[in-house]
Amino acid sequence: MMYEKRKSRTGQDIALALLIVLAAYCLFPIFMALLNSFKTKPEMFTDVMAFPQKFSVENYARSFRKMKYLASFFNNLVIVAIGMGGIAFFSAMAGWAMCRTKTKLSGFLFGLFVFSMLIPFNSIMIPLYRIAGALHLTNSTVGMGVIYIGLGVGMAIFMYHGFAKSSIPLEIEEAACIDGCGMFATFFLIVMPLLGPITATICIMNILWMWNDFLLPLIMLQSPKNYTLLLSTNMLFGQYSSDWPAILSALVLAVIPVVVLYAFLQKNILQGIVNGAVKS
Amino acid sequence: MPLHKKNGLNHGRNVQMFLFVLPALICFAAIKLVPAVSGIFYSMTNWNGLNPHFRFIGFENFRTLFTNDSDFWKSMAFTLKYVIAAVVLMNFVALFLAILIENLTRGKGVFRTIFYMPNMISMIIGGFMWQFIFNQVLYQLSQNPGLGFLDQPWTSNSNFAFVAILVVATWGGAGYLMVIYIAAIQGIPQTLNEAAVIDGAGSFQRFRHITIPMIRQAFTICFFVTLNNAFQVFDVVYSLTGGGPGRDTQVVAINIYEEAFARNNRFGYATAKSTILFLVILVITFFQLRLMKNREEEA
Repeated sequence: MMYEKRKSRTGQDIALALLIVLAAYCLFPIFMALLNSFKTKPEMFTDVMAFPQKFSVENYARSFRKMKYLASFFNNLVIVAIGMGGIAFFSAMAGWAMCRTKTKLSGFLFGLFVFSMLIPFNSIMIPLYRIAGALHLTNSTVGMGVIYIGLGVGMAIFMYHGFAKSSIPLEIEEAACIDGCGMFATFFLIVMPLLGPITATICIMNILWMWNDFLLPLIMLQSPKNYTLLLSTNMLFGQYSSDWPAILSALVLAVIPVVVLYAFLQKNILQGIVNGAVKS
Repeated sequence: MPLHKKNGLNHGRNVQMFLFVLPALICFAAIKLVPAVSGIFYSMTNWNGLNPHFRFIGFENFRTLFTNDSDFWKSMAFTLKYVIAAVVLMNFVALFLAILIENLTRGKGVFRTIFYMPNMISMIIGGFMWQFIFNQVLYQLSQNPGLGFLDQPWTSNSNFAFVAILVVATWGGAGYLMVIYIAAIQGIPQTLNEAAVIDGAGSFQRFRHITIPMIRQAFTICFFVTLNNAFQVFDVVYSLTGGGPGRDTQVVAINIYEEAFARNNRFGYATAKSTILFLVILVITFFQLRLMKNREEEA
């Protein structure tokens, strides 16, 4: 018993040491970006590892202006708010209704949504570009939000459907029905308040996806006034060419919102990721 | 009479259900269904994106694709190479991290938080940050004695660029898989391990005969996710090498993007390419799921 204990403790020490090294490696690029974003160009070229002589925020001020930070941030917000609102609301309605209605039609529709999850974005992106253009959804943040609804409902419906089946007691709905609630009243008054846990998971998955998505906005948003944070950063990267301290300040700025989000909702995000992965 | 009544009831329920599904269905149809179906049509046209008039040309695009487009097949070969390497490497690293973390008595949460962090960051940003590491930081570090090996053409030589892409992709993707593996390991009943210890099983034996079989479901999920993502990889390659040097690290997604939006504007032709990509992904994920589901059931 003694032996077993001691052995596991050395094992633990090795594991801990390894993890510390790997964690340092994992944070290294972020740390280096932060460190060098406060330097001047000559300072960075002299010693990339040194602390900046004085923490100059000049790079940040310039990048903040050039990438129209607040406007880009706001564009992201509009896209995510519309996309998320639509995905959650429409999918909850559809997922629950298809779960509770056992007809051929509902089975067919549900199958359609589920199968669509297998279609990779790459293979619809070009026809989508044309259709979005015809519907006036291109080059507009509102349009982007609507496109995300269309792309996101499949998986969200699948998850709401599963949740309604396993975690919403039929008795409550039947009681409501006896009390004279129609389908609409039942959904809005009884079911919707119970969908909280799965809605949280769906929100986390979809917000992260939409916020960090690059290819779709790259295709759809042409004018810089509609650019998301990633598009502005990408544009700035081209303009700054090899002015690394300036570039790094832009990268840090672009990362701040997600890191802040992560700092506050870390537990929920990790839980949401697990739930989302296991359910889908 | 009862049959008629039943149909009537069904009909009413269908109408109500349909009203609930309608908002989602409209968005879904316009954004996903119609593009998916019309893609098959567009892939048989000479549509160039600008000219509103285009012609149906049958399988001409596919003929060109199969006989006269070495760039596409080069990018497909590179993508396959990347997929295999990335799926294996990411899952290996993620499982390794998960096991190390689960071995700890304290500090599990801290490490989980740190290793998941890169996943929060877009791979566009991640790729740019790593470009700085590869081109500036490693170069300067290599000036120190003993670290000369760090001075490599990380993004300008095709072999090193492949390694660089894998490094960055693993950095960004392993944390996600790790979280899933950790959850799976935590789901293993403690009694199994206790019983094995009593029977005299060492830690490797327990890992081999308890942990691995008990997390089969997590393997299926993680391989499915990594396979799908790796086939469609765009961001990390775009920001790290841009597909270069030359076209040596060009993946299929970048090849399609270029064909349609950046270089040639051959939309019809690019759609034909994307159809091929869809079929490849479909076939491979089908076999992956069948193989791994069978394994799950055998266990």
